[in-house]
Amino acid sequence: MSLDLFEVGRYAIKHSKEVGFTESAVSIRNSERTMVKFANNELTVVQSWSELYVELYLVKDGRIYLVGGPIKAIEDLKAMMSESYDKIRFLERSELYAPLPEPSGRPLSGLVDHVIKEDVSRVAGSVYSLIDACLKEGAERVAGVLDAGYVKYALFTSKGAELEEEKTYVTVYSRAFKGDNSGHWVWTSTRFDERKVSEVGSRAGFYASITKDVVSVDVGRYSAVLSPLIFSNLVNYVANASSALMSLLGLSMFVKYGPGSKVGSEELSVADDPLEVGLPGARGFDDEGISTFKKSIIEKGVFKGYLHNSKTAALMGASTTGNAGWLSPHPWNLIVEAGDMDEDEMVREVRRGFFVLNNWYTRYQNYVEGQFSTVTRDLLLYVENGEAKGSVKRLRVADTFPNVLSNIRGLSRSRYDIRWWEVPTPTRAPFVLVDNILFTRPEI
Amino acid sequence: MDVDLLKYAVDYSIKSGAKYAEARYHLNNALEVVMRYDKVVGIGKSKVEGVGIRILYNGQLLFTSTNRLSRDAIKECIDGVLGRGKTLSSLGRIKGLGEAQIGNVSYEVKALKPLDYKPIDVKINELKECYKHAVACLKEATLGSFAVAYRELEEVKGLVTSDGAWVESKVPRVSLLFNFVLSHPQRGTIQRILNLAGSGGLELMDGWRVYDLLAEEVRSVERVLIDGTKPPTEPVDVVLGSEVTGLIAHESAGHPMEADRIWGREAAQAGESYVKPEMLGLNAFNNEFATVVDDPTMPKSYGFYLYDDEGVRARPKYIYLNGRLNEFLHNRWTALLFKTTSNGSARSMNYASEPIPRMSNTYLTPGDYTFEELIEDIDVGVYIKSYQEWNIDDVRWGQRYVGLESYMIRNGELAEPIRNPVVEFTTKAFYSNIVGKSKNLRFYPGECGKGEPPQGVPVWFGGPEVRLGKMRLGVFVQ
Repeated sequence: MSLDLFEVGRYAIKHSKEVGFTESAVSIRNSERTMVKFANNELTVVQSWSELYVELYLVKDGRIYLVGGPIKAIEDLKAMMSESYDKIRFLERSELYAPLPEPSGRPLSGLVDHVIKEDVSRVAGSVYSLIDACLKEGAERVAGVLDAGYVKYALFTSKGAELEEEKTYVTVYSRAFKGDNSGHWVWTSTRFDERKVSEVGSRAGFYASITKDVVSVDVGRYSAVLSPLIFSNLVNYVANASSALMSLLGLSMFVKYGPGSKVGSEELSVADDPLEVGLPGARGFDDEGISTFKKSIIEKGVFKGYLHNSKTAALMGASTTGNAGWLSPHPWNLIVEAGDMDEDEMVREVRRGFFVLNNWYTRYQNYVEGQFSTVTRDLLLYVENGEAKGSVKRLRVADTFPNVLSNIRGLSRSRYDIRWWEVPTPTRAPFVLVDNILFTRPEI
Repeated sequence: MDVDLLKYAVDYSIKSGAKYAEARYHLNNALEVVMRYDKVVGIGKSKVEGVGIRILYNGQLLFTSTNRLSRDAIKECIDGVLGRGKTLSSLGRIKGLGEAQIGNVSYEVKALKPLDYKPIDVKINELKECYKHAVACLKEATLGSFAVAYRELEEVKGLVTSDGAWVESKVPRVSLLFNFVLSHPQRGTIQRILNLAGSGGLELMDGWRVYDLLAEEVRSVERVLIDGTKPPTEPVDVVLGSEVTGLIAHESAGHPMEADRIWGREAAQAGESYVKPEMLGLNAFNNEFATVVDDPTMPKSYGFYLYDDEGVRARPKYIYLNGRLNEFLHNRWTALLFKTTSNGSARSMNYASEPIPRMSNTYLTPGDYTFEELIEDIDVGVYIKSYQEWNIDDVRWGQRYVGLESYMIRNGELAEPIRNPVVEFTTKAFYSNIVGKSKNLRFYPGECGKGEPPQGVPVWFGGPEVRLGKMRLGVFVQ
């Protein structure tokens, strides 16, 4: 059975008024997704999903109730709404309540790659070239994922928004192994490009094949060249902290370092750019129907302001930034401004430090202070006077975000489009050269 | 639940050439309330319902799912995933799934107080009281942030496999999470995230004594903020609380003993393991105190189940036993690879997730001492009762825990609080250096993440208080 999204949306808005809700919004997500997972040079699972999911934002006199679920037929919405109305009577006005805004958004075009939409088997088949490219670089084994899909998203609000946008995406990452060494690389886009898929394999294989004698280093502060993989992970944490709701809930360093605070070096500028159609987070309207736009989160090291929806904006005396989330604002695509350094030049600039390819498991001791640690993985080279002297295994970066961001000395001209397990929001990031980072390792 | 639809999915897969097929109906009905101080931020209800189908076909493991619960939709999904599998046929080398004791059974966790025992406004009023209790016990600090997330979940599953399993289950769960930040003009801030959760109904909330527990936490954390000093720099005896040792058991015993991780299936995501297949049975830690169990069958536990998501009967697994690497966590795929039988560790987060080896309720076994006996002969030491920051490397070897509520031990007794003591050690160092364990086994909840797409499943982790030999504490940036 195929449901017309406009028919579903219009019915939901109309029926919500009949039930007695004073405001409503409906989001409908219709998606087809395929994921190929491989390890030890063989396929471990092919997964595919087909989903239609409806979410309702329902308001009665400032009381907010969110409900979501699958629907088989348009009549299922009636049951969702009548149950919600029974519940909402018992609630109180939400502290976050603000009226839904007048819609201003328009869908973006050019987000659909017909190869992904209509011939996903061809996209899945490109895993062969990834594995071949990786092994040709000298890797012994490779693991990874190719994830591709098509999404149609529709939004309707009681303020008159009737919006629909469709897009495709592909995200590929691989981890290559050679002996005890490993390398990793990533690519993401709204469009399929087999050459890029192959590069994910070759670059991971290249890093895995860099063999240096293992050296021991002391706990202490060092300079480091951070690859776009680890830097994108850190930027994701910073961007999530810029959500106004995270700040209101005490889960953000921007509780302490409010708008206008210097949190990074002058070299660092990070923006949220939903209009970047090459990245899978692109969107022309947010979940309240507002036009999305590019905005700075950090500009020349200064925190410019929170990401808002109309509710957090009203509560904090600001304007929406087109980042709704009905409750929680969130970034769409993150763009780190490029620098003027060559990648090789950055390593040559390191007097005593590391080249860090990748990381995982970033955790906070205190969100408000930005105190955190994260564990390096894959290639980690010890560098002295611009030359790699040996490899090191699994050191930990244990520092504060303000300290790391403030010690950025330079960024590369080249940037890469990153999204993977540890980087959920698509991020275009360069390599960065950072001084004075604390590296630790097990004491015993 | 439409059992005929599940049977159709299995029959259609087999008719299409599958060697094995399973279809799982899986419903997660959740209600969540988020509060800031004593005000409601939002209330949401989500129903995640659908069918997940796993197929073994031509040397490939295929998984497909849909929330369109019709024969046409299921047929379309199966045809689609078989087509994609054919594109990659030369990469498939899966021989099959291992034989296992599969069930024909229905079970349910009966809530003494069902989730609808109280109307939602009563629940919200009770949550509001939490803020009042937290504020009331503060002396010098202020409550910079205070947030509560309350969640009820009803999980209903039905599994049909082509080799005869039928398992139906229904498990309600409740969880409560607090995040608070205490501030002081001269002493800065300190943050605590506290989580309570289990399987059952609203009676769980009664058992947790939420107001008392919260007040106790706020008082203790305030004392650390106001009076906490720097931790010692010289080597000291270290005693870790249950909250810390439970997490250590989860991270450095449960995860590295997952068979799929050992084989390399998660290599590009959560990583591999320091454990290699041939190390099974190895006396890795040479310490009789190093025994870690994973037991899904514990009543009221957050990770409770009696049959796993491949229909295999669950049982306690002794992962580490007296210092030996004793038993890996298996699903039926890894069981065949490792030439053994599944021990019922396959779990899926929801209908859209494949069943993979997971932990359930993982704990370091308790010892014989009281806490007082454990520390009575320590001249100078450190007791780390709770933590905030932690992580472990991708082979589950080097790990770090940063203490939150922590104290000096002086002359066999707890003394002044200390701030942010760090232990950073290897798995071998921890398990080899346990010199004593208390008899106080306590459990803590978590959502364990693994897989791609990531699957968060409810778990408990637990342990007693543990005394380690002397060590130098790690470094923390204040």
